[in-house]
Amino acid sequence: MRRSRGFSLAETLVALAILAIVITTTIAMFAERARRLRDANETILAFQALSNEAEYWRREPFAEIDKPDNQVFKSDASIIKPLAPYTTEVKVDSPRADVRNVTLIIRWAKREAHLGIARADTGGSGLW
Amino acid sequence: MRRRARGYTMLEVVITLALFGVFLFIIVTMTAEMRRNEKKWPVNFFAHPEVGSVLARMRRDIYDSTVRPDNFETYSSSPLTLIVYTINNDGTAETVVWDFTTPGEVHRKAFKATLLSSEWMARGLPLFTWTTEPMPSGQDAVRIQAMDKEHKLAIDELIVPRPHA
Repeated sequence: MRRSRGFSLAETLVALAILAIVITTTIAMFAERARRLRDANETILAFQALSNEAEYWRREPFAEIDKPDNQVFKSDASIIKPLAPYTTEVKVDSPRADVRNVTLIIRWAKREAHLGIARADTGGSGLW
Repeated sequence: MRRRARGYTMLEVVITLALFGVFLFIIVTMTAEMRRNEKKWPVNFFAHPEVGSVLARMRRDIYDSTVRPDNFETYSSSPLTLIVYTINNDGTAETVVWDFTTPGEVHRKAFKATLLSSEWMARGLPLFTWTTEPMPSGQDAVRIQAMDKEHKLAIDELIVPRPHA
């Protein structure tokens, strides 16, 4: 009677295929987790910077909002250094004569975070 | 006479070592990537939710504050001690002392008149400091910053008290 002294080629291939699937899935999960964690941290930093910038734009005199040379980030952006290289942009739309929509944008690594605030001309009462 | 197997062939050993090498390379690469990420980010907000809980409490205290006294009881205002007189939800007022003087800890002590009414603390934190930042409206914002152990900026937040009539 012939004795079996090892695994057949088919058994070995199936075992290797299963092992490869398990290892590939585990590695893919690991990589995805690291990527999502990085994205989440980047988002937190970007919105922290946008939130600080919004505090300035909420209090900018209404007449100053439209000036093109004024439409730059005013707050200290040290917090977003880990996102470098990044760019910042301020967009101002005028849906009505007494309303300005200010959109603050940070772009980095093919990603973008933006925060919009609406400003109304209150005649300098300090409301926003 | 039957030939006895006395070990692995050279081919088997080479294939095994090659596979082991590939896995080792992948694991080392991924560990290095994780380390790079950890070093890049001053605070992992997900691993350290207490950082967020400090900021959430501090925001509320500062938004609703009417005055920032220079002194209260034994506390004096400094970059490591923030004192605010703040309005509660029930309309009563409290003096809140945010004490950052112990490295890695943040203490919040609330006083009704001079009696300690509540105390809260968090550990394992970056070093918090505060300053004031002038706003275009003439108002002063409270600027909260925190540095981690490697002096990387972890928190930088402007909080402007709400106008109180």
